[in-house]
Amino acid sequence: MILQTVFIGLFGIAAIWFAVVVFRTHSMVRSALALLFSQAALGAMFLAMQAEFLGVLQIMMMATEMSIMAIFMVMFMMDPGGLGGMDMTHQKRGSQAAGVIGAFAALGVAFLAGWGSPAATVPGPQEQLRGLGLDLMERSMLIFETAGVTILAAMIAATAVALATRSATKQEGNDE
Amino acid sequence: MMPLYIALAVGAIMFGVGLYGALSQTNLVMIMMGVEVMLGGALVNLVAFWRFLHPTAYPGQTFFLIIMTVMALDMAVGFGVGTARFRARGSVEMEEARELKG
Repeated sequence: MILQTVFIGLFGIAAIWFAVVVFRTHSMVRSALALLFSQAALGAMFLAMQAEFLGVLQIMMMATEMSIMAIFMVMFMMDPGGLGGMDMTHQKRGSQAAGVIGAFAALGVAFLAGWGSPAATVPGPQEQLRGLGLDLMERSMLIFETAGVTILAAMIAATAVALATRSATKQEGNDE
Repeated sequence: MMPLYIALAVGAIMFGVGLYGALSQTNLVMIMMGVEVMLGGALVNLVAFWRFLHPTAYPGQTFFLIIMTVMALDMAVGFGVGTARFRARGSVEMEEARELKG
């Protein structure tokens, strides 16, 4: 239990540190990589909490997602390397106040609520997967199916929004 | 009890950092990164509650999968909007998108 606590704490500090780095660096690519490391540290934290499937899923999903994010950063930004040192922030004081208040409110709930006694043991990975599979296919099936349909709708919507309209293509041709 | 409190504290601080990022950044992709950090904080709380309070009940893990779906959708739709905006104006700076305000 002591070793588990130490690892949860270490990975948690790493996740917070890299999350802060995301918004402190001027380089977009570094921001994307810092977010990748932050989310991977969360995945490692889940592994330390004995949620093997969720930990591996988190690391795999985030590695892909952040790689795509870095590619879009390079595509969209004039200065993806951050060499120009341009500042891309606004309303800093208000944002800092909102962040601090949000964090303290969540900390207050976490430490002041009575959560009851913690469970000492947890089912093994096989039993966890079996339980999750049964839950997905029985009790939470409607939610799971809704998520699937939502993904399909979002994919179609994102593609439709991103496609060039005929007038925009014509305009680009005229510009060239 | 200690590991539960550590995990909840990590989740709360991640939420605060993400909220700061989402509100302070002017670039669309950076705003999405802030939202991702906030959702990461929510994921930590879900796993901590499942592990330390209800390890034999699996709706918590199902909810984890739903939030992960939301993270992917947020990225897909956000980049769709970003691409459309970049085509139209050549930038994804949200300071320049004031005309979107109703």
